[in-house]
Amino acid sequence: MPKRTDISRILLIGSGPIVIGQAAEFDYSGTQGAKALKEEGYEVILVNSNPATIMTDPEVADKTYIEPLITPVIEKIIERERPDALLPTLGGQTALNLAVDLYEKGILDKYNVKMIGANYEAIKKAEDRELFKEAMEKIGLQMPKSAVVKSVAEAMEIIQWIGFPVIIRPSFTLGGTGGSIAYNIDEFYPKVKAGLEASPVHEVLLEESVIGWKEFEMEVMRDKNDNCVIICSIENLDPMGVHTGDSITIAPAMTLTDKEYQMLRDYSIAVIREIGVETGGSNVQFSQNPETGQFYVIEMNPRVSRSSALASKATGFPIAKIAAKLAVGYTLDELPNDITKETPASFEPTIDYVVTKIPRFDFAKFPETDPTLTTMMKSVGEVMAIGRTFKESIHKAVRSLELGRYGLYIGLEKEDDETVKEKIVTPNADRLWYIAEGFRRGWTVEEIHQLSHIDRWFLHQIKEIIDFEKELSEKTLATITDEELEKAKQWGFSDRELARLLKTTEERVREKRMKVSYKVVDTCAAEFRAFTPYYYSSYEKPFGIVKEDGTVELVFDTENLEEK
Amino acid sequence: MKKGKIIILGSGPNRIGQGIEFDYACVHCVWALKEEGYEAVMVNCNPETVSTDYDTSDKLFFEPIVYEDVLNIIESEKPDGVVVQFGGQTPLKLAVPLQNAGVKILGTSPESIDIAEDRERFRELIIRLGLKQPESGIARSKEEAVLMAEKIGYPVLVRPSYVLGGRAMRLVYDTAELLQYIEEAVLVTEDKPLLIDRFLEDAIELDVDAVSDGEDVLVGAVMEHIEEAGIHSGDSATCIPPYTLSDEIMYEVKRQTRELAKALNVKGLMNVQYAVKDNQIYVIEVNPRASRTVPFVSKAVGYPLAKIASKVIVGRKLRDIVPEVFSIKEAHPATDFRDRSFSRYSIKEVVFPWNRFPEVDPLLGPEMKSTGEVMGIDEDFGMAFYKSQAAAGSVLPEKGNVFISVADRDKPSVLTVAKKLVELGFTIYATSGTHRFFENSDVPSVRVSKLSEERPNVVDRIRNGEIHMVINTPSGKRERSDAYFIRRAAVEHKIPYFTTVRAAQAAVEAINSFKNRQLSVKPLQEMI
Repeated sequence: MPKRTDISRILLIGSGPIVIGQAAEFDYSGTQGAKALKEEGYEVILVNSNPATIMTDPEVADKTYIEPLITPVIEKIIERERPDALLPTLGGQTALNLAVDLYEKGILDKYNVKMIGANYEAIKKAEDRELFKEAMEKIGLQMPKSAVVKSVAEAMEIIQWIGFPVIIRPSFTLGGTGGSIAYNIDEFYPKVKAGLEASPVHEVLLEESVIGWKEFEMEVMRDKNDNCVIICSIENLDPMGVHTGDSITIAPAMTLTDKEYQMLRDYSIAVIREIGVETGGSNVQFSQNPETGQFYVIEMNPRVSRSSALASKATGFPIAKIAAKLAVGYTLDELPNDITKETPASFEPTIDYVVTKIPRFDFAKFPETDPTLTTMMKSVGEVMAIGRTFKESIHKAVRSLELGRYGLYIGLEKEDDETVKEKIVTPNADRLWYIAEGFRRGWTVEEIHQLSHIDRWFLHQIKEIIDFEKELSEKTLATITDEELEKAKQWGFSDRELARLLKTTEERVREKRMKVSYKVVDTCAAEFRAFTPYYYSSYEKPFGIVKEDGTVELVFDTENLEEK
Repeated sequence: MKKGKIIILGSGPNRIGQGIEFDYACVHCVWALKEEGYEAVMVNCNPETVSTDYDTSDKLFFEPIVYEDVLNIIESEKPDGVVVQFGGQTPLKLAVPLQNAGVKILGTSPESIDIAEDRERFRELIIRLGLKQPESGIARSKEEAVLMAEKIGYPVLVRPSYVLGGRAMRLVYDTAELLQYIEEAVLVTEDKPLLIDRFLEDAIELDVDAVSDGEDVLVGAVMEHIEEAGIHSGDSATCIPPYTLSDEIMYEVKRQTRELAKALNVKGLMNVQYAVKDNQIYVIEVNPRASRTVPFVSKAVGYPLAKIASKVIVGRKLRDIVPEVFSIKEAHPATDFRDRSFSRYSIKEVVFPWNRFPEVDPLLGPEMKSTGEVMGIDEDFGMAFYKSQAAAGSVLPEKGNVFISVADRDKPSVLTVAKKLVELGFTIYATSGTHRFFENSDVPSVRVSKLSEERPNVVDRIRNGEIHMVINTPSGKRERSDAYFIRRAAVEHKIPYFTTVRAAQAAVEAINSFKNRQLSVKPLQEMI
């Protein structure tokens, strides 16, 4: 099907200033979207108040408005530019909220502007708690049990159905203040009472607790012919209870069985269809009971999200660009994959490496604040790393953070056991390092799992790193074997960390250790030839050498590596 | 055939103080180098960025920006040079180690960067150029700190030497506060000395971004901070062109900037911060690299500074890149890129994460806390400020009640603000002290009770929606006073609030403009 010809001018709304929870990823998506639409010959009118963005560079769009993102201003722009369509799905929650407001105030109708990408009904269905719940029930997916109550008496009745533990969220309080969790009926009564008092409308939401459950995200795309593809699965290392923006996340999901993965795939496609996102990308979040394997749907974003940015970079699949093209009428099978040129965008990406994202926090700037990680996002940035294994990937992510940390050791040996335990139980920015410390103290995977509820697979990986760290620390650069050094590099140990363990300098380790190898991010696990020069390193054999033309050549003979 | 291969090091994870602005600069560098015929190789580890889009650069390495991984890439790619000046501190930290490993750093030399960052060497440079700096000193013990502060004269800005970015920096007004700071917050020892700087009270702060090719220096813009000295430059609203400075001061600031750029042999971008007090110009700091204001300046004056600087780095001359700029007969006092007729105000405002951190006092200070920025553009200063506030989430009221409570030293200057508000039809609310002061100055105001007095008190009134704007300047003490609860209530109820008199003055001008003019919009492409 050709692109739409009934529209020629498209209004794109950006996400405004960088705030916690809505950051640079929407510059990436807006820029990609604007470029893609221009490529197709549409005239792009862009509005964003944030001057520090590439998308507001005068070359990116045809008309660039650096103006406040408030309804009266957008109306003025619509009045002046008379766009045919509004694409609200690339500018985060800000753009989506504005689109809803413009629609509800009749402004879109007045100027005959069509919403493309996601329509009003779909946005409402995804964002309105009750409508979303109904939609999920309709397709047979479960959600945590929840109900809104206005009195203690009502709450005492509802709790019989929801059960414990239960989360109490007062309505309309800032940043979830007054929220709590109750584990038994004795706690429940005073906490509900306090919650009702904290709420200005005397109302609380009671919700079945899924704290400690595993958390997964699926990035799904759909075109107007109802083709759906899964771009990427993402697993949160931190169990439910920590905002996904504050969690360490891994792509692809590591601990799902194939059967479970296929279930999530089907569920995600069912969700995007039922919500009615006609074209574009969505992000669906699930939680899984680690004991029974049962899945709950947590929420869905009917737009490009922070996770889409991560999924794009993790797979090489440009979600925002494709979403923009789908919005103007293309279908997934019509759009080529830039990387392979041969395959269409309807090929689901396959990845043969592990991607780790770790958030970056700035609590030192706000010493008065509680650094516990909760369902309210607090991180200000993030890093992503690519490695051949989880161990290599997480090590690379740790040193990307620029916290002066080059491994899983940050000198916690002076902390007493109680503190270490507490820091493993309560989610915080340093939890990964406390877990490593726990293993150094000889704690078992089972013990740390009980404290943190982090999946045992991840804990085993960390434990293996720490066990090997212990072995390494008993060696010196002179006594370590080539095989051991090679294994250390393949497990992601940095030169600097090895220098510490082997009591030498980074330069010395560098001289002695194996050379690095480069690989291509190709969306297809090397099934097709890749044309995009997007690389990551790994200490792996055979060696991948980046050639002048951008391709990677595999070299088995390490003797002649220098000449290559 | 490409002219050569250049690696650009990115800015790593976003954090407060190093955000998206640096990714913007890196992307511009990549674009410029591609335009110039070079192969541009990008290294970054931040998935939220445009620089890590696979079609931005010729090659993209998604890797940690630390010595080991960067050197690996350099050994593999064998570039003709590496660019470190666009990604903020992240790549800058690697400049010297990479140079020691035999890597060619393009643009301003690591040596010049070191002069700008080393306190002693920088002081020598300032003296040599005949410029001024606020008095300062280093104390290695508590006793020495007290003597030093007395010699310099209060108020002083104090901070430990080993932390960067304004962390743990404090403004202290007397010996008692200084001692309290030393005892509570920092340890002063021989190897962890305390840095003490004279604080220029009520000085106006300026930021200047310039680009230099070693021969010519072009000033992108002289920016005036809306908030007075003492507020981190990254947290202050900023205006292009300056709105209270004389042309003479601006020309002199531009001259000093050129002197500094030449003395440091800057090839590429440079940012200088100045303070102006009693018509004296003081150099606060120099950063010979891309600053966070580069995108803002580029959009305000209509020239992409980072792109121009990147071309300079690979050897092109400014006269050849932007010849039209050199034929301007009379440059604007605030920018070399425009002539005198340039008449448009661009105001940058910042946003803070206060709503995420309910325990934090939403006050500005010497430590940067903002996460992002917005820009308001208009021919009229007031309208530009109005737009910048609206963009930052604070739509100024057209009518209603304004609560004013200010420190004693701000009382005389807040008077004009109050009078103007009354003229505009607002009702002033004030607690007893300020109310009495207004009464004696013939400004009508309604007395409201403090938190300790009968209810409804001022916070109740904010919560009830009776107050539409708050002007509250801190008294210098940091305890949890009434002021804290007032500010918190304003944040929680999304009521515009201002904690400096200069910002309040700008707000009043903005309200005035909004009431008298039409809100108008215009795309960048139509701005001349």
